Amino acid sequence: MRFTGLIFVVLPLWGGVDFEGKVRPILVGRCYACHSAATKPAGFLRVDDRAGFFRGGDSGPAVVPGKPEASLLLQRIEHADPRRRMPRESAALSAEEIATLRRWIAEGAVWPVETLTVAPARNTAGYPQLRAKHWAFQPVQNPAPPAVTNRGWPATAIDQFLLAKLEQKQLKPVGDADRLTLVRRVTYDLTGLPPTPAEVDSFLADKSPQAYAKLVDRLLASPRFGERWGRHWLDVARYGESSGPSRNIPYPHAWRYRDYVLDAVNRDVPYNQFLQEQIAGGLLPAATPAERDRLLIATGFLALGPKDVNQRFKERFQMDNVAEQIDTVTRSTIALTVSCARCHDHKFDPIPTADYYALAGIFTSTEDAAGVRNKMGGAGLDYYDPARLLRHSAYQPKADPATLSRLEAELATAKAKWEAIRGTPEGLKIAANGRPTQQPFRLQYEKLQKEWLSLTDHGTLGYAIHGVRDAQQIADTNIRVRGEAELLGPVAPRGFLTAFAVPGAPPLNRAQSGRRELAQWLTSDRNPLTTRVMVNRIWQHLYGEGLVKTVDNFGLTGDRPSHPELLDYLASQFLADGWSIKKTVRRLVLSRSYRLASTKVSENVAVDPANRLVWRHAPRRLDAEEVRDSILLSSGRLQLNPPPASAVRALSMIEMRDNGPESRAIIEQADGSLARSVYLPLLRGVTPRALEAFDPVAQTLVTGQRDATTVPTQALFLMNSTFVRQQSLALAGELLAEGGSAAERIRRAYRRILNRLPTPQELDRAASFVPEYAAAYRPPPPLSLTLPVAAKPAAPPAAPADPDNVDRTDSRPAEPEIRPANAEAAAWMSLVQALYASAEFRFVL
Amino acid sequence: MLQTLSLRRQFSRRALLRSAGAGFGHLALSGLLGAANQPLGVKAPHFRAKAKRVIFLFMEGAISTLDTFEYKPALQANAGKTGPGGGTITPSRFAFQQYGQSGAWFSELMPNIAKHADEFCFVRGLHTDTPAHPQAVVQLHTGSANAALTRPSMGSWLLYGLGTENQDLPGYVTINPPPNFGGAVNYGSAFLPAHYQGTRISDEGYLPNLEASAAADLQRRQLNLIQSMNAGLAKSAQAPDPVEGIIESYELAFRMQGKVPELLDLSKEPQAVLDAYGVKPGPEGSFARQCLMARRLSEAGVRFVEICQGGWDHHTNLHQGLIARSREVDQATAALLADLKQRGLLEDTLVIFGSEFGRLPMAQGFDGRDHNITGYSMILAGAGVKKGFRYGATDELGVKAVEGRMHINDLHATLLALLGLHHKQLTYRYSGRDFRLTDVAGEVHMGLMDL
Repeated sequence: MRFTGLIFVVLPLWGGVDFEGKVRPILVGRCYACHSAATKPAGFLRVDDRAGFFRGGDSGPAVVPGKPEASLLLQRIEHADPRRRMPRESAALSAEEIATLRRWIAEGAVWPVETLTVAPARNTAGYPQLRAKHWAFQPVQNPAPPAVTNRGWPATAIDQFLLAKLEQKQLKPVGDADRLTLVRRVTYDLTGLPPTPAEVDSFLADKSPQAYAKLVDRLLASPRFGERWGRHWLDVARYGESSGPSRNIPYPHAWRYRDYVLDAVNRDVPYNQFLQEQIAGGLLPAATPAERDRLLIATGFLALGPKDVNQRFKERFQMDNVAEQIDTVTRSTIALTVSCARCHDHKFDPIPTADYYALAGIFTSTEDAAGVRNKMGGAGLDYYDPARLLRHSAYQPKADPATLSRLEAELATAKAKWEAIRGTPEGLKIAANGRPTQQPFRLQYEKLQKEWLSLTDHGTLGYAIHGVRDAQQIADTNIRVRGEAELLGPVAPRGFLTAFAVPGAPPLNRAQSGRRELAQWLTSDRNPLTTRVMVNRIWQHLYGEGLVKTVDNFGLTGDRPSHPELLDYLASQFLADGWSIKKTVRRLVLSRSYRLASTKVSENVAVDPANRLVWRHAPRRLDAEEVRDSILLSSGRLQLNPPPASAVRALSMIEMRDNGPESRAIIEQADGSLARSVYLPLLRGVTPRALEAFDPVAQTLVTGQRDATTVPTQALFLMNSTFVRQQSLALAGELLAEGGSAAERIRRAYRRILNRLPTPQELDRAASFVPEYAAAYRPPPPLSLTLPVAAKPAAPPAAPADPDNVDRTDSRPAEPEIRPANAEAAAWMSLVQALYASAEFRFVL
Repeated sequence: MLQTLSLRRQFSRRALLRSAGAGFGHLALSGLLGAANQPLGVKAPHFRAKAKRVIFLFMEGAISTLDTFEYKPALQANAGKTGPGGGTITPSRFAFQQYGQSGAWFSELMPNIAKHADEFCFVRGLHTDTPAHPQAVVQLHTGSANAALTRPSMGSWLLYGLGTENQDLPGYVTINPPPNFGGAVNYGSAFLPAHYQGTRISDEGYLPNLEASAAADLQRRQLNLIQSMNAGLAKSAQAPDPVEGIIESYELAFRMQGKVPELLDLSKEPQAVLDAYGVKPGPEGSFARQCLMARRLSEAGVRFVEICQGGWDHHTNLHQGLIARSREVDQATAALLADLKQRGLLEDTLVIFGSEFGRLPMAQGFDGRDHNITGYSMILAGAGVKKGFRYGATDELGVKAVEGRMHINDLHATLLALLGLHHKQLTYRYSGRDFRLTDVAGEVHMGLMDL
């Protein structure tokens, strides 16, 4: 769709006050200087934009149509107190001007709607063709497994699909992986942890034909499965515990959503239901308060995105958040980049702007209850809006009424005093302490504000949920010309995409936002994308790369499936299995192709170097969480009991600096944690140090695939980091304490870290390394960065006392000193560390 | 003269025909000579060139060139009229004046950079494919915005083609890169071996875990054990592809521990130098610190250094935003150029200043400009480019490149040529075909070269 420059103005048909002729000139001449986009919307009121005007600023809508006396606009321009009267920076309005405004409001405050016409354009011409032809938009087929020549090889249908293609290219799959490799591979893939030596022994000792299937079932039933596969979904859900760029505001209750995801994956909540809960949670029936809470928490999926709170205009803030939600929902579930159509028809995929705004209406009819509001240049609690947080059913107001009413009165007084002096010449005068005279008034007000919240606010008390609920106003929204929030095009009726058909999907319930029907449309058995996208994600996590390599993009610019029939077969089976993720994982890992060795064969490399045809198992590098968790597990220090909540819970919803004391406290807390990495605090922009080196997820966009780089910083992490040395020392201590010969210790170290025994040469080398290292050992001087660490992690500090003068110094987290007791301990520590540092440790073969 | 001949010869039609089919001749030969064991060792370029290294000053978000170093008097004349494609033509609110012998125009936002006017080669005819930051930033860095296949970044290609002069340092450093817009893709090596990837350093010169935790001889002892295990894995048939890169990364990390901390320690610089760049702590001093680190790293032989100043995406708040950003960039960039010149480094260092695309001469909203991919400018300076020279042009309003048109692929082809690499010969075989930084396009623009 292309927008022409024509503007149609709906003119009033009665003889009332002429808005353009009489009212607008007053607004332009007397109000724009402080209340327009070009300047600053003081009090967040804009009078240059129809939507901004009627939506109003901090104090509410500027006018109540038909009721001049109830309209803030008149109250303020006629205010008796010159400090409260508008315009503040120039003379009062004349009686004539006031009369005009009064009459205009009395007549209904008619502000003609300007809409821009739209005309069909070149982009959309190819859409019908794309809808009809693009593979991903066609219904999922249920193809029968193809015939293969080598009929003895396939163990499952999956193998038949893969082998058929290999045979076409005259390629042979390599041999099966040995059982040791297999137990390590499947344990890592399903739980994100290596098997313990005992688990390896028990699998190797089980000679029954069902040994492998039993192992798989044990792993699927383990709570560790949800921690690994829930983390995969958290990547896709761009999970983070703060608002991210511009002003980083913590989301102290985000951990509830994390726990919801892990629990849902562990209970194998069907994927269609899982999506419905996250998109439409609050609109679904709930039998108990606990179930209601769970469903509201699920909608954290929509609420926990990055948000640019440092934004002047509510309308833009909302439309930006809507775009972020549309992007997240569509890329995660159907792998389409729908948000490209925010400003123009999609250049590649058949997604017109009208479709984008049909979805946008669903989200503008939804209130984002993340707990933040927009403001330009705010400080302290300015960005926090407790009214925009959902309430947990366990919340019970605590304070007694007497205390509350006393505090309320004090707060009102302090607020009035602060507002009276704020920005006045007297307030800005520098007092004896070198600070503005007004400062103590602000501090007093903020102190009482916090006290009030600590007694009355479910958020401050920890009983809040970041999620969404249907908005007060349920309505379709206008197309925004070129994506600009204020430039209204025609109204786009709420609905779903037209790129492909979903027969039988229920129509949108116009009395609600429509999220419930959107979720049903997405999770319909006949949606061609949702099942394909999900089985492709699962495939990728087990085979290294998706059948469609661009796991988050199934559009025209994405990859085409290497095995389209297999993809459809798996999607059909996923449906037949009732959208069960666990059953799909099981189906994949029981295939023979999953169990292939990772051996390279030069003839195959020549034909298919990227292994797209799956002639071998692709080795994969451990991700950041696996590296840390594996080190902790093998050093014997991993605590498998999930810790409660998150360290971020202790933070207020006040802007925090990436290098400030709050971040420092959180990082130190993460440093000291022995829990699995999925439970570490994940503020956006503040990555726990033990996760930094190995390509942690970016937390900004839907991320279906992690990077796996090789850079010297990883080597430096393994050679020098406190974390790795700390764990190496712990394991060395254990090895020494257990006694036995040096050779026995070396074997134990190999088994715990690499899950195998050393070769004779490796044993010899390690056995001579230890005494040689010990002989050469001198205790090192302390690292220059080493700082004393408190016995327990520092509590997150209080917010800065003075938001006008924030300390900007770098607050670098402390490093405990790692010091082996003697040369022998140092040598064993060095050996253990070398095993962690080996390339072998970081790969799953 | 010799260089002129060799360059001309390289790009003559006959030479191209001659070299066709011998695409990887140069690299294969250096491979035979032992470069395989020294993947980062210095390799001879395809032909002689003045530039030995690059400093790229990336203005992330798209600097409005029409308000800084691209003077368009026609905007004044047409102010208020509707521009091509809609929107009100809006001249810059900043005053422009001419500088130097060349008479190049600069606005009052860049008084210090302007003093180097006669060093500059303005590339005025740039255009790119996608008006969205993520794709455009990735295309600027890798040549392609195709999400389906991540390509190696230009610094990685350069390192692959030329190796690096200082084996104790990473050959490719990126300071303060954008965490979004492709993130690590912009300094990644994609399918090139991982040791060609850029090393990321914070704007405070901080690289975590850089301080050695044990005496060098002890750590070397431990490293030998690690590397013997790695070498064993590399020999096995199951070796994952990155193992060679891991081996290399350890050696590099070990050497870096010794050299990098002192190199990034700006406190060793005389106060006069710190003042010239405007070095100070905190975010305001970020770009100045990056400029000074870039000089120190380049001087030490790092092949490709990229530094980054974000915050140029002025859809709104153009006026104040430009003032704030320019204040951070102008003095430090000028100081970097002066410093490079004074040390003779500008003779063999190519400096690039620019963004992923430009901005339109028409207003967006009340105080903003939207993206423009059809015509925009960058500044080149230093080795191999004509001085006090303008190459290419946009139309009189600055909307569309009309002269000396250069696509990103052309820019990359030209940059590689300035460093002595033929973009069609710098190939890497992956997934059954030879890949290049310029994919299947790219034309070398010799007109801007100082031959």
